[in-house]
Amino acid sequence: MLKDLYEFKKDLGNRGIFFCLSGPISQNLVAEIGSTLEQKMSLEETSKSTVLRVFSTVVENAQNIMRYSDEKEEKLSLGIIAVGYEGSHYFVLCGNMVENDKIEGLRKKLTKLQTMNKNELKEYYRKQRREGPPKESRGAGLGFIDMAKKASKPIEFDFKKIDEEVSFFSMRTVI
Amino acid sequence: MNNLIVEATKYTPEIFFDCENHILEIKGKSYPENTSVFYSPVFEWLEEYLGKAEKEKITVNMELVYFNSSSSKILMDFCDVLDAAASEGKDISVNWVYEEDDEDALEFGEEFQEDLESVTFNLVQKSVD
Repeated sequence: MLKDLYEFKKDLGNRGIFFCLSGPISQNLVAEIGSTLEQKMSLEETSKSTVLRVFSTVVENAQNIMRYSDEKEEKLSLGIIAVGYEGSHYFVLCGNMVENDKIEGLRKKLTKLQTMNKNELKEYYRKQRREGPPKESRGAGLGFIDMAKKASKPIEFDFKKIDEEVSFFSMRTVI
Repeated sequence: MNNLIVEATKYTPEIFFDCENHILEIKGKSYPENTSVFYSPVFEWLEEYLGKAEKEKITVNMELVYFNSSSSKILMDFCDVLDAAASEGKDISVNWVYEEDDEDALEFGEEFQEDLESVTFNLVQKSVD
């Protein structure tokens, strides 16, 4: 394990990932990650809008894990978040366990967003904000739409079946 | 009634609602874990204040560097309350302050501006050096 750690770090680097966290995600952690990433990106002379979009995508993803991950230890929710840079775009990866019976709903929601263009996303966001959250939502029900709006291409996602109960949900947002 | 003063944290904005000078300010970042818990005292205060306010000119300054999607919903609700009071004759102007190179904040401001009918809604660009 000790020797593998460097290989693991190098592997992340080869994939363009410069930040990665796997484990319990908390609100305080989100704030610290956010400000550290802001600092890092500012050093690279990234534009203000881009810094805020990456920051925003990390926050929305982290808060999704906190609210919806089906892998929990007491009150803490577990998941994985990674941020990287590839082909002159930042990207954010996010993953967590979900119960199998939630997959269809998520798939439907995300597939719908994939087909929408910028203007449609903008209108959809405003409409949903007006109408209020769907009943299964623990926030405003706007997180995915917000990420899709801020992304430079459609959000990619995947479900990997783990057992009869849960699957691993992963998504990739390119800013 | 008393002023409402809440200090900023890493993920909640500074609230400075001054009922003597009629200046209401929200400033900073907003992405609390539970938005309604943070904002419920804000709405309670606002309701009481608007209930007592008469013909005075009320200025609301909203300067949010960043807010998450659930705060966006709450901020819209906040503006709706102001808009309803303005439609009943209160003199309310909202200044939406955004940094000059923050396109998303400007876009949000423009959307609020389109949605609100009775308040005077100004988009105010703040230059960063």
